[in-house]
Amino acid sequence: MINRWNRREFLQKTSAATLAALGAGAPMASLLQGCSSADKGKPKLVGQRGTADTVILLWMAGGMAHTETFDPKRYTPFETGMEGNRVLSTFKSMPTALDGIHFSEGLQSIGNVMDRGTLIRSYVAADMGHILHSRHQYHWHTCYEPPQTVAAPHIGSWIARELGPKNQVIPAFIDIGQRFTVGEAEELKAFHTSGFLGNEFGPFFIPDPSQGLESVRPPIGMDARRFERRNQLYNELISNSPVGEFGSDYQKESLRRSMEQAYRLLNSPEAKAFDLSTEPAHIYERYNTGRFGLGCLLARRLTEQGARFISVTTEYEPFKGWDTHENGHTRLEDMKCQIDGPIAQLILDLEKTGHLDRTLIILASEFSRDMMVEGRPDAKVLEQVNQPDILSDLKFYGMHRHFTDGCSVLMFGGGIKKGFVYGKTADERPCKTIENPVRIEGIHQTIYHALGIAPDTQYEVEKRPFYTTPDGKGKPVMELLA
Amino acid sequence: MLSGITLDRLLTYFFTYTVIVTAESFWLWQFLGRLHPLIVHFPVGLLCIALFLEVISWFRKSTELRAGINAMLWIGAISSVVAAVFGLMLVNQEDYEGKGVAIHQWSGLATMLLAILTIIALRSGQVMLYRSLLVLTVVGVSVAGHFGALLTHGEDYLTSVLPVGGKPNAPGLSGSNFAFASMGSNGQLTTKQIQDLTVEVRSILAHNCYSCHSATKTKGDLRLDQKALVMKGGKHGFILKAGHPEASEIIRRIRLPADDKEAMPTKGNRLTEKEIGLLSFWIKAGAPWPGGAEKSIYRVAALEPRLPVLPAATVDITNPIDRLVNVYFHKNKIEWKSVVDDRTYMRRVYLDIIGLLPTPTQMQAFETSDKPDKREALVKELLSRNSDYAQHWLTFWNDALRNDYSGTGYITGGRYDITKWLYGSLRKNKPYNWFVRELISPNKESAGFIKGIKWRGTINSSQRTEMQAAQNVAQVLLGLNLKCASCHDSFVSDWKLADAYAFANVFADSTLEINRCDKPTGKMAGRSVLYKELGTISVDAPTEKRLRELADFLVQPKDGRLYRTLVNRIWAQLMGRGIVEPVDVMDNEPWSQDLLDWLAYDFVQNGYDIKKLIYTITTSKTYQLPSVGIKDADLVKASTYVFEGMVRRRLTAEQFADAVSLAFNPIYQDTSVVKMLPKTIQKEIVFPRASLVKNDPFLTALGRPNRETVSTSRTSQANLLQALELTNGTTFNEALKRGAERWKAKYPSSDLLVKELYRKSLGRDPMPKEMAVAQKIVGAQPSVEGIEDLVWAIALHPEFQLIY
Repeated sequence: MINRWNRREFLQKTSAATLAALGAGAPMASLLQGCSSADKGKPKLVGQRGTADTVILLWMAGGMAHTETFDPKRYTPFETGMEGNRVLSTFKSMPTALDGIHFSEGLQSIGNVMDRGTLIRSYVAADMGHILHSRHQYHWHTCYEPPQTVAAPHIGSWIARELGPKNQVIPAFIDIGQRFTVGEAEELKAFHTSGFLGNEFGPFFIPDPSQGLESVRPPIGMDARRFERRNQLYNELISNSPVGEFGSDYQKESLRRSMEQAYRLLNSPEAKAFDLSTEPAHIYERYNTGRFGLGCLLARRLTEQGARFISVTTEYEPFKGWDTHENGHTRLEDMKCQIDGPIAQLILDLEKTGHLDRTLIILASEFSRDMMVEGRPDAKVLEQVNQPDILSDLKFYGMHRHFTDGCSVLMFGGGIKKGFVYGKTADERPCKTIENPVRIEGIHQTIYHALGIAPDTQYEVEKRPFYTTPDGKGKPVMELLA
Repeated sequence: MLSGITLDRLLTYFFTYTVIVTAESFWLWQFLGRLHPLIVHFPVGLLCIALFLEVISWFRKSTELRAGINAMLWIGAISSVVAAVFGLMLVNQEDYEGKGVAIHQWSGLATMLLAILTIIALRSGQVMLYRSLLVLTVVGVSVAGHFGALLTHGEDYLTSVLPVGGKPNAPGLSGSNFAFASMGSNGQLTTKQIQDLTVEVRSILAHNCYSCHSATKTKGDLRLDQKALVMKGGKHGFILKAGHPEASEIIRRIRLPADDKEAMPTKGNRLTEKEIGLLSFWIKAGAPWPGGAEKSIYRVAALEPRLPVLPAATVDITNPIDRLVNVYFHKNKIEWKSVVDDRTYMRRVYLDIIGLLPTPTQMQAFETSDKPDKREALVKELLSRNSDYAQHWLTFWNDALRNDYSGTGYITGGRYDITKWLYGSLRKNKPYNWFVRELISPNKESAGFIKGIKWRGTINSSQRTEMQAAQNVAQVLLGLNLKCASCHDSFVSDWKLADAYAFANVFADSTLEINRCDKPTGKMAGRSVLYKELGTISVDAPTEKRLRELADFLVQPKDGRLYRTLVNRIWAQLMGRGIVEPVDVMDNEPWSQDLLDWLAYDFVQNGYDIKKLIYTITTSKTYQLPSVGIKDADLVKASTYVFEGMVRRRLTAEQFADAVSLAFNPIYQDTSVVKMLPKTIQKEIVFPRASLVKNDPFLTALGRPNRETVSTSRTSQANLLQALELTNGTTFNEALKRGAERWKAKYPSSDLLVKELYRKSLGRDPMPKEMAVAQKIVGAQPSVEGIEDLVWAIALHPEFQLIY
């Protein structure tokens, strides 16, 4: 069956040793150094507490063009009949809080808080031939390329499995903003899953953050008193039932325990965190750019109450959101509006309350986009976008093809360097990664490292080991860590 | 991993002849004991030099050395006492045994005694006696010392460095190994023991080392999967030195702390002490590795069918299952308990055979009937309810054949559902050999299973649809794991990459090129069945013909594996635990080989009739035993499991939804899936059962898998997400609301309502106390809210949720 790598036991033992060492006056830095000095071989992180307790993933679904957001290139304004090949960015760029680092126009607020985080400009998505959003998203979230013979768990499920909930009454893995009633829903369900780890570690879905409370309050139409009474009578019925004689077994026990937990959550003060209407109006408005913005607000509130892993998505729906097959320029004005304010506010708010130190925020997308190149520069894949070489209409002005060779990722808090830039893409087309490429295994291992989850964490499934990253490959990108 | 009798026997052997450190020993005694090898050098040195000086004094006839000699003798004698005491501690604390130890112990004690006598003789001035005793003492100390050194350093410690026939010793290794000290002088392994030992060793290497040190991946130029290559070593030379675990690189590396750069394995779990002990023991024994045909290091189940001898029937034990279980019970000292009462039995067979709850009327009629064969009659009746039966078993087969009404692949036509075929086959109770034949050599309606799921884009070659077919046929129908071998030679079985490709190639229209770990090898795959004794595929025939051949080969009666796999799955569905677990690993040991073999044999004899099989099981006394509650979910699947009766189970998502639907109010109203079925069949479907609706958050929370991969067992543990869905999820609550309105109109008094609800859902009347609580919930005049809350409480009641 599943053999648990017993991290907790190890922590109990090592924490005693750490305490002893601290008592003896050893500086903390030297202890941590001991953990990370061997990063040439495999990282020695076992037993390290990590630098983060909570992860917030801000998911730019549909392929966010790096040249239009966090890695702008030469700007060429639109003219009817212009050559597409001349266009690298359709927006002007503007300075950020970091010297010499520019963002695309429309991301001022995030630019202003870049001194709190790290900008990675060299993420390289996998080469899987024919570009398919759902496959790349599957790969990003599970670290495994679909299809797989064993159901691969979402990174949120791995974290839920290894660390458990931070606060017992808040589900360990919360997924905000994705509805499963829109196109390609089945493909999305395939990776929004705990896979072989078991349902227990699966995502708790809140498709609409403004309805967050409904997921954690008594059913509609049931007031607190009735809810309370129902639960009490339920327990009375059980204690008066003749089945009590069956004694203890795990199904019965787990049923009663989880019902108790659900009752506690639904009745707990923490449940109020799900209710955005209790947020002061002026702050609510700062986040209120739509579902994504409110998702950030909900993520902030849940983080403050002890959430473990939260994903907030701009939502994937084919040809919507970041998936710009036409009108790229116009659409991105709107997308930036949606994300810029709320993300910056989230960082500032968490910083103010002191939560940012132990909350790792990641902004990412499955791949980038380009006007000319589909896939990667040196590989020919099936053309999927109707993009003429001569731009006869404004609707063709934008990054419409899928580009996998250079993407931007942002990270804030939770032990990540502040005001740091890593990697580089070319300044001329193809604007691909030319320095320090980072792949998905590295991103995942960096997140696990920050959380103190060992890089070789694995379970035995059908007699073979299944690691957090394929074959346990990939190393944390230590340069990103403070 | 390290299984069975062979290991136990070996370890018994190992412990009897060698030494281990027992964990319970008091540390101080153990510590002092371990000082023995240090202290022991004092008497050895001092007494020998004392004799040497004594001889000099004797020749010189001088007394100038007397004082020194005396001091040496005193210190020598006292230290010999200390050494002896410490030595005894060592031998007791650390379980030393063996002939070498005995010689050492007794010669040591004798030496101590002699040393004391020497002192006494010296003090009493009897010079000749003193000198003779001193000589004897030194002889004693030499003998004891020699045997002690053998224990510590091994027998050929000295001779191995001699130029004549000796091998050079690895420098810089001084660590002594108590554990195997006496092997040299005692252990002669028999041929059988050597074989067992080698199998165990190869098994350890396979599980821990092959992933980096075999044909697939050869790190450090080292391969551990063949004798010659193990002996040859790697880039840095030899990895073992026969007879000398302490001087063997492999032992050094696996003993290093995990964070050492040189520690092995670099990935995965560390080796256990037992495994390290076994490897050391093996090297100590000369690292034997007999040539000839190698026995598999894995348990491999027999392919052919077998009819075990049935024990004679007795007055109350007639059913063949019971007769076989009786033998098992006898062996395991388990008493037969009396069978469950009518109500419990009825609820069980209803849920197990058609997935529904019995109605109160049916319950009462059954309970009051006094026909002696009423249970058999009930099972027969249930099995004849073809439509209900099909709708229940559809869930199990949908999971196993990963058939679903929505899911990845459908969007681009990369997947085909087989619902119509599957429903029809179950409804007709298609003989299993035909069922399998149609899955493998399909018609249009059954093709979805081997067609698999095709994603757009480039996919890993181990997931091409032909390989999916090979993996799924192997897993679901044959209970074997081909997933590892579809990428590289397996580390957990004997299946090779070439086997997997040859099998997948049977499903392929054009010959597949073998890919190892997604890299083309340039070799083309052959075409063959996994078990070559089942038949030879016509390599160049068109796909259709090949698939027909494959189907024919696999369903032959001589393919016992196919039928054992099936009967074990059905048994697991009805009993909560397979005879073999996991149900997909049919090479594992069954808790009763006879029972498994008999069921499979009988199944074939009875025309591959699944209903007949279910009948035989559910009418057995064994099935009717009281259910067994298990404290920890892991214990159910553990190899230590002992069968005592059906394991208590939780209702599946579908059973739960249907139970609520029937006892109270239908949960589902969506008939879109039902409409996929032929019109004649649609008519038989009274309400949309949960097996015939698309997956939704409610069913997912309750454990219905998303059928992207095959799934042959579900967990029955509850969790928070599930409880949340049941507490405030819309699907459930809306059904409660609709139902409450209906019930309120129907039952004006709470007394009547509560009674009816208890009967319908739990199959019994409420106890007076329950009635009181229930009436408190619904109110004297039943209110919609009150009814909703009561139904909710009952539906989440363990008595409702469990099959007991």
